[in-house]
Amino acid sequence: MKGYYDDLFRLCGFEDEEINSERSRIKATLEKLELGPEDMERADAWVREYHDISLAGVRKLLGAWLKELIDLVLAKEEGKKIVYFGFPAILGPGLMLSASSKDVFVSAPDMVLDHTMGQIFNKLTPILEAGEANGLPPGHAMCSLWQAKVGGVAKGIIPVPDFALASSYYCDMGSKADDLVTALYGTPIAYIDGIMDSKWGEFPGFLPDRVEYLGAQINQALKMGEEALGIKIAPDAWEISRESSRPFRDNLVRLVDLMKADPVPVSIVELELLEALSGSSTGRGIREGVKAMDILVKELDKRVRAGVGVTEKGAPRVMVRLGHTSDPRVTRVIEDAGLAVPLTFILGSFGGVRVEPKGAYNTPGEIIANYEMTGGYYHGTDAQIQFYEKATQIMNLDGFIAQYLYNCRPVATISHAQRRYLEEKTGLPVLSLEIDNFDSRTHSADSLRTKVETFAEMLRARKRSASQIDFI
Amino acid sequence: MDALLKLDTHLENRHAQLKALKDHGRKIIGFTAGGYFPEELALACDAEAICFIEAGNNTALMNAGGYTCRWFDPFWRSQIAYLTSGKDPYYNIADLIVVPVTDNHVRNFSNVLGYFTPEKESFVFGVPHVKDKIALDYYLKGITRLRNRLEEFTGKEITDARLKQSIDLCNRERELFRQISLLRKSGEYFIQGRDFIKLNHGSYLADKEFMIDILEMYLREIKETACHPKGGPSLLLTGSTLAHGDSKVMDIIEECGGNTVVEEFAECIRPYHETVDTEGNLMKNLAESYFMKRVCPGWFRPGTERLNLLIKLAKEYNVDGLIWYQLMFRESYKVESFFFPQMLKKEAGIPMFVVESEYDAMEAGPMRTRIETFIETIKR
Repeated sequence: MKGYYDDLFRLCGFEDEEINSERSRIKATLEKLELGPEDMERADAWVREYHDISLAGVRKLLGAWLKELIDLVLAKEEGKKIVYFGFPAILGPGLMLSASSKDVFVSAPDMVLDHTMGQIFNKLTPILEAGEANGLPPGHAMCSLWQAKVGGVAKGIIPVPDFALASSYYCDMGSKADDLVTALYGTPIAYIDGIMDSKWGEFPGFLPDRVEYLGAQINQALKMGEEALGIKIAPDAWEISRESSRPFRDNLVRLVDLMKADPVPVSIVELELLEALSGSSTGRGIREGVKAMDILVKELDKRVRAGVGVTEKGAPRVMVRLGHTSDPRVTRVIEDAGLAVPLTFILGSFGGVRVEPKGAYNTPGEIIANYEMTGGYYHGTDAQIQFYEKATQIMNLDGFIAQYLYNCRPVATISHAQRRYLEEKTGLPVLSLEIDNFDSRTHSADSLRTKVETFAEMLRARKRSASQIDFI
Repeated sequence: MDALLKLDTHLENRHAQLKALKDHGRKIIGFTAGGYFPEELALACDAEAICFIEAGNNTALMNAGGYTCRWFDPFWRSQIAYLTSGKDPYYNIADLIVVPVTDNHVRNFSNVLGYFTPEKESFVFGVPHVKDKIALDYYLKGITRLRNRLEEFTGKEITDARLKQSIDLCNRERELFRQISLLRKSGEYFIQGRDFIKLNHGSYLADKEFMIDILEMYLREIKETACHPKGGPSLLLTGSTLAHGDSKVMDIIEECGGNTVVEEFAECIRPYHETVDTEGNLMKNLAESYFMKRVCPGWFRPGTERLNLLIKLAKEYNVDGLIWYQLMFRESYKVESFFFPQMLKKEAGIPMFVVESEYDAMEAGPMRTRIETFIETIKR
């Protein structure tokens, strides 16, 4: 029997047999989320307007997020032990726990809510408000990703976790909000601690102490996970998890390569769906994401060969930090202004700047830590800025929209230095843009439009004048 | 109190004294607030150690806007403003700035220091956010690197004998602070909260031996003074930071009849509860005391050790209420302020009240009304 949700799920890449086989789970999920027929109609219009549904790969990607949502919402009822990790994440520990038992569900639930309740249903606000009412009040520059997580738990739409992996290597807010969840619900936490104490200019160097410390913390967290979840981490869990996520990473590399084309073949709104999935899911989302990517890569390859893109050929090319996780309108503002976005910071870490760790380490924790220190994201602020600099040549950039998240201190610290640094080192214009990447209530598309349009106009003028000088 | 007057005079002349010492080749080591810099290491290589504790002026925050966005704690934005101003006497006189990196607010300062003022000599080391053996080792490695840097910078070897002497000196200072603070517990002596804060602030700038004399003198004076316990409600004042120059909350509490009998702050108030063992491996002893034994600040994970201390202090000092002084955007503290009141009520039976500050003069009016109301409420 057809459900009120069938059309939307079909639009989001579900096959009819998938809908039929999952019907009871879909129904139960939508009931928990309090999503009725009217919400489906609104979601249908929203998805059609803000996502490139002419691409089957994009529709499948939206479907992958919906499948992750269903698994998340029903995890407790289906007898799973639930582990939440914070975003951005060092993924290894979560992947290893997930690889060690079929009874364990490991996810970043806030990202799942953002990409489904935000990007598909446009109904994230009540969840954010519940987060605000339960310990993360507005007006204090609290992380809105965490507001979604706490709000989701408080509203009972996502389950209370059995165990939390806290991203103590990056932000203070995440670990403290994990404390809040413990205070409210008694969830045990493993704080994966790290210290971003490199002196400015130290990157790419780092003290071995940092790898040893972070590595030991990861190993310790895995042990705690075993105890809290009553599982044994398989000896080959690290290899399995690396292997299971390899196709995803390989496809991201191929996609980033396609984004070197002019015009760029797809909106960064859609690639954000991919990059975020790789950092949020350890289960079905990733597997379904790989299938979606296989389709998307072929579709984009065709577009590149045909010279089809989402902006005009020759449009100024800018790198951004990341796309909006819950509101595609915010990311679209950049492309609407006529700017091509071939690369984000996170995508760049897959297909842009190569990360080649040195040093021999034996434990999973140290191997992961060594990779992260070499990559730079958890190394320090100057490492992150250098990442943009290196991307300049790879993507033939004309400028940067150097967003900083006002309510994320590890990113906000970049606000002034990145602009000056990039202007000095690359000679390219930089728009420093304050955003909230997870919540568009205060930093909406319209509030950013004027700044972005002015910057785009300036880049076009600059490009025109450069081509005239070349001609002369 | 003569001791306080004498301290005032010393601090008025302190910068000139440091200048003279510097002219004679003495190194001035500046360090950021937070309590994780073992001053003993600087003293052991014959350097002067001063802590950057000034804040409270909103104009400084505007000046910091040239180097950072506003979404950081105003104390650390103030430090950025003073650092970059080129006019702050203590930042200017420091030969080396040591930054123990704790949370991202401190890291933001460290970034500005490294990128915008590369001409300033600096040394950065990290403080873990959890307490375990691995974390202790990391902290120990950090202060060992610091020791090497100080030796190299000053050209003086830190011998065990010199280090022990410095630890003894700092232990004496901590012991005196502890004695003074404990006098407030008995209720037999009246020590104004602002005086205790003033001694703390003074100790971060004053010559160490002079400061010990002042504390001893103050202790004698208090014991000799006739007891006049104040009638108002007793309060525990807590927060991340209580800077020199940020006297608004303390002034208002006292003007409204409140009596701060104990305070707990991680920055600008000295951790004085623990002493450093002088037997065995002294570097390990410093790490044990400064990192493991010390009750952690609010950015620690989990923060329960500090919250339990607050409950203990509330009981031991028999306070009527707790005032949580929240600096804007210091998120670790803000999150805890949501769930701690229930814990405090359950465990100590007292109410908690949150006041927030961005070092804005305009805050004073509403802050006064709210504190007055809280004090009136707990009086009943």
